[in-house]
Parts: sequence; structure tokens; C-alpha cells
Amino acid sequence: MKVLIIEDEPAISKSIKEYFKPYGIQCENAASKREALDKIGMYEYDCILLDLMLPDGDGFDILKELKRLNKTDGVIIISAKETLETRIEGFNLGADDYLTKPFHLSELLVRMQALIRRKNFNGSNIITFNEISVDLLGKNVTVNDIKLDITKKEIDLLLYLIGNQNKVLSKSAIAEYLSGDMADMLDNHDFVYAHIKNLKKKLTTSGAGDYIKTVYGLGYKWQDE
Amino acid sequence: MAWGINGRMSKTKLLNKTTRSFLIYAVLILLASAPAFYFISQWLYVYETDEVLIFHKEDFVKGTHHKFTESDIVAWNKYNRDVEIVPDMGVSTDSIVGKSLYEPTSGEMEPFRILYSPVTINSKKFTYIEKTNLVEMEGMVVSIAMMFLCIIVILLAGIIYISRESAAKIWKPFYDTLRKIQDFEIDKNREPNFAPTDIKEFDSLNKSIEKLIEKNTAIYKSQREFVENAAHELQTPLALFQTKVDTLAQAEGLPDEASDIIGALNNDISRMNRLNKNLLLLSKIDNDTYLEKQPVQINNLIEKHIDFFREQGEPKNLSFKLELDVQLSVTTNPALAEVLVNNLFMNAIRHNVQDGEIIITTTQNTVTFANTGLNNPLNSGKLFNRFSKENPSSQGNGLGLAIIKKIGELNQWNISYDFKNDLHYFIVTFP
Repeated sequence: MKVLIIEDEPAISKSIKEYFKPYGIQCENAASKREALDKIGMYEYDCILLDLMLPDGDGFDILKELKRLNKTDGVIIISAKETLETRIEGFNLGADDYLTKPFHLSELLVRMQALIRRKNFNGSNIITFNEISVDLLGKNVTVNDIKLDITKKEIDLLLYLIGNQNKVLSKSAIAEYLSGDMADMLDNHDFVYAHIKNLKKKLTTSGAGDYIKTVYGLGYKWQDE
Repeated sequence: MAWGINGRMSKTKLLNKTTRSFLIYAVLILLASAPAFYFISQWLYVYETDEVLIFHKEDFVKGTHHKFTESDIVAWNKYNRDVEIVPDMGVSTDSIVGKSLYEPTSGEMEPFRILYSPVTINSKKFTYIEKTNLVEMEGMVVSIAMMFLCIIVILLAGIIYISRESAAKIWKPFYDTLRKIQDFEIDKNREPNFAPTDIKEFDSLNKSIEKLIEKNTAIYKSQREFVENAAHELQTPLALFQTKVDTLAQAEGLPDEASDIIGALNNDISRMNRLNKNLLLLSKIDNDTYLEKQPVQINNLIEKHIDFFREQGEPKNLSFKLELDVQLSVTTNPALAEVLVNNLFMNAIRHNVQDGEIIITTTQNTVTFANTGLNNPLNSGKLFNRFSKENPSSQGNGLGLAIIKKIGELNQWNISYDFKNDLHYFIVTFP
């Protein structure tokens, strides 16, 4: 899978690149509008991460060019700008998602995975990990074909953990991901523990492996045994 | 100078003050000039009377009278009441004297002017005596007094009229400017528009104030923009920080000490992040980003995220009591109304105690968040200031209540705080 990161801050694009690498995602970087337009003209990408503020111009110009080339599907805007107007303009110009800086790499990854799933949608939309499968349309989880009694939030958490397998996920990253728009209102991240505990229990009691590991001082990690 | 009970000087309107001094001056001048006018008129009258007397005498001398015989003089004296020819009394030049004489017609003493003049008739010396009654003078004094009274009345009426009407017109731009300055608020994006005036002083007053306001508004704006820009510019380094810490956390074989620090760093970034977002939100409210209004059901907003807040209250084992029997609907910006409700929730959770309680009540025009907490009232004077924190160790960033207050101000809602029965009340009153 090929991703183009249009971002003028090299440290950010480098971090994204490194974080995505273990998942077989190949990242290319464009640090300016010019470079981005060149690359868009030459190559095909599965997903484009687009920063709106570039040294030589506006990210919206790139969106317009993508629209002209009919290549808009798979654009996630990553921007420090956070007004309703820029969001609406971004979506109107064909962007699929909008992530405000600063963000967690884990969140960017699951959003990208979701985007690509939507893009490559082929009738069934099921994610499997060993004996666990998540039906995104039916909103249910089965372990060895046995349906689990699971909440929507727990499904979100499961998808997030599986999507970021083998990565250490901090409590704050999980809390912010689960809270969505309400993340700004978080007072503590303690509720994450309860959700993790419940999910872990539901999975193990139904016969699934104990994939959720606690990482000392840092958080949790989804890891194949 | 008069002083009011509260120690402040009692204030008079400028118009009344100038009118009052005009009136006092006019009355004083008129009172002083009335006797002067009387004396001058009297002197002029006497002077004129004397001239007439001299004129009569000269007429007598120039006429045929110098040929009068003794019998002519007797006859003359007999038929002339006011002129008398008597044998020489020893007067060598014309002399006029004022005297009070008995007047038989009116039966009382009256003022007279009497001329004594030497005349020669048939080479014989005589004295010519002529007297004139000054009695018309009294009538004249009454007329003068009446005239003065009329002048005073007309003058005073005129002064009052001019100051009330014409002066009011002249001062109109001043009062207009004054009213506009009183209405001016620097944090509202409305600069006063002064009416043009042809009076130089007021025009320069308006120009000076316009300049002052313009300058201050510019300073205020740049200050506001600074907060917004600073918060915006912080987003990128924060993003860098966050991604780097995320990457660092993936490192294999970290010692426990390092893991602890990275974990703590993660919390710090989250806090910094929220602080920055709140600062951005405050400056966005300041910059009128949220102007679009529509009817909003406050009850729905309370129930919308109740699960999220219950979850946030779990570590403290808080109980939530919702008394939402009254449907409360207000017309406002929905995004801001939600921010307000969420911040009230957050505030009630954050400053609560273990096993505490939160009671949310709606009425026709209020929504109240009551919560358990410290057992003493908060300092309500400082409570709503930015970064004012009662408990310095609290996780909050000290902006929650400032945001609540700002949203209240923007919508003209009254936000008040009360402490009773060991509960902290935050009440939003809608008009």
C-alpha cells in the first residue's frame, strides 16, 4: 500500500513513515505544494495525507488539482487549522477525513485503515485476527463463530487495538480515541482501564487468546501470543 | 460647591450652568442700570426744560416786548400764569433754580424749574421770572419702570429660549458623542460612528476620540490575534512532540524508569493539548466565529453526553441526579451551547469529592449545576477569571469557567455562583 504524506515538517512525516512501516505501508513524502503536485501527476496512491499549510501555497490547491484528476478518494487532511469553515471546505473539495494536529499516530493509522476499507469495499466488511472476526456492517464480534455480547465502544476499542497491533498505545491515546469529539472534555483517563478489562474478559472467556498486554508505565499493546 | 451624600460632587448639566450665569448677569446689569437710567433721564428732562425756559426768555427779548409800557407789564403779568415781569431783583445773569411750590390746581407741593433773568424794557431794568412744572416726570418714571420690566422679561425669556433651543441644538453633537462613547465596548466589533458636525471643537473632539478608539481597538485586536496565533503556532510543535513520544514509546526494552517518564509525558501532552484547544476556543469566541443561531434544547444537550460524563465521574463514584422536567429551549449557537453545558459538567466533576453528587435542574429560564465539593464557598470574584484555580493541584487548566463566562457574555446570559447546604451552584439564567 502506498501513501503520500504532504507535510512540510520533516519530523512529522518521518514519524508517520516509521510508525506505518511494520504494517506494510510505504510512505512517500512531499514537503511542498510543487513537489506534491509533481508526485500526484506521476504516481497512484492508496491514500494521501494532506497538510493544509505548505510553504509555497495552500493545501486546498492540491485538493482542487486532485479533483480535476479524479483522484480525490483517499485524502485525509491533517492540519493545525481547526475551524468549521476549513473542515467544510475540505470535505466539499473531496477530502474523506479531517484530523486536527496534534494527533496520535495510532489514531491516524486506524482512520486510514477505515478509509481504505471503505475505498476497497467489496460486499463484506469483516476484519479477522486469528479466531476473532469483527463484522463492521453488522456491528458484532465473533470468536470461533460464537457471537459476543459486546458494546459499541468495545468494538471501537477492539478495532483500534487490532489496527495498531504490536504498538504500545498510551492510556491518553486510547482515551482520546474513544472519546472522539469529547476528547477535549477529558478529565482523567481512568475509564480506559475499565474498558480494557471488560474487553479482555469478554474475549478470553469466549475462548480467544489473551492478546491485550499491559505495558508497564506506558499503556497497552495488542500482540499475537 | 455642593457635595452629595456619597461624597461625590453633585453634577449640573453644562447647559443649565451657562444659562444660570447668563441669567444672573442679565438681572444684575438690569437692576444696576434701572436707577442710572432714571437719573440720566431726569437730568436730560431738567436740561431740556431749562433750555425751553431760556428759549422763551430770548423770544421775549427779541420780540416787541422791550417796547412794553408800565401798563403793558401789568396786563402781561395779569394774563400770564407762568411768566412774570417784576422790578429788578438784582440778578445780573440768567439763573435757573429748582423749587417745590404749592400748586393750587392739584392742591399739593410740586417740583418746578424757575428762571430768573435780567431784561431791559424801555431802558428800565426788570427781572424776568418763568416757571415750569416738572410734574410729568412722575409719569415718566412709571413708564420707564414698565419699559424696564418689559425689557427684563423679554431678555430673560430670550436667554432661556436661546439656551434651551438653540444651545441644545449646538450641543447636540456633544451629547451624541457622549452617548456613543458610553455604549462603546472594546470587545465588541462595533466602532462608534460619530455624526458629522460643523462646530470645530466638537469635530476635533470626535476626531480625537475616533483616533483613540481606533488605536485601542487595534491594540486589543492584535492582543487577541496574538493569543490565537500563539495557540495556533503551538499546534505544530505539540504535534511533533506527540508523534515523537508515540514513537519513543514503541522502543523495545525500555527500563521501568523510562517507561514511567514516557507515560507521564503522554499525560502532560494531553493536558497541554487541551489547554491549547481551550485557548483557541476562547479566542474564536472573541473573534465572533460562532454567530449563527438557532433554537437549541438545553435538555437534549445535557442528555447527549451524559454517558461520557458518568464515565468520567466513575473514578470518584459520583452520582448524577437529573431534574429535567421542564423543557428549556433557547435560541443560540448550538456549538457554543454544547460547549457551555459540557464545561458545566466538567466543572462539576472535576471539583467534586469521592462519592459526591451532581444535581442538574432546568426551569423555564435557568439551568443549574449543583455539586458537592470543598466545604466552603469559592471566591466568586475571581472564580470566572482565566487561569484562576482554587485548587492548584487540580487537573483542570483554569479555563473552563472562563469559557462558560465568555459564552454567557456573548449571549447575554447571566452566569452566577452560589454556595448553600454544602453544594456549589452554577446557575445560567436565560433572558
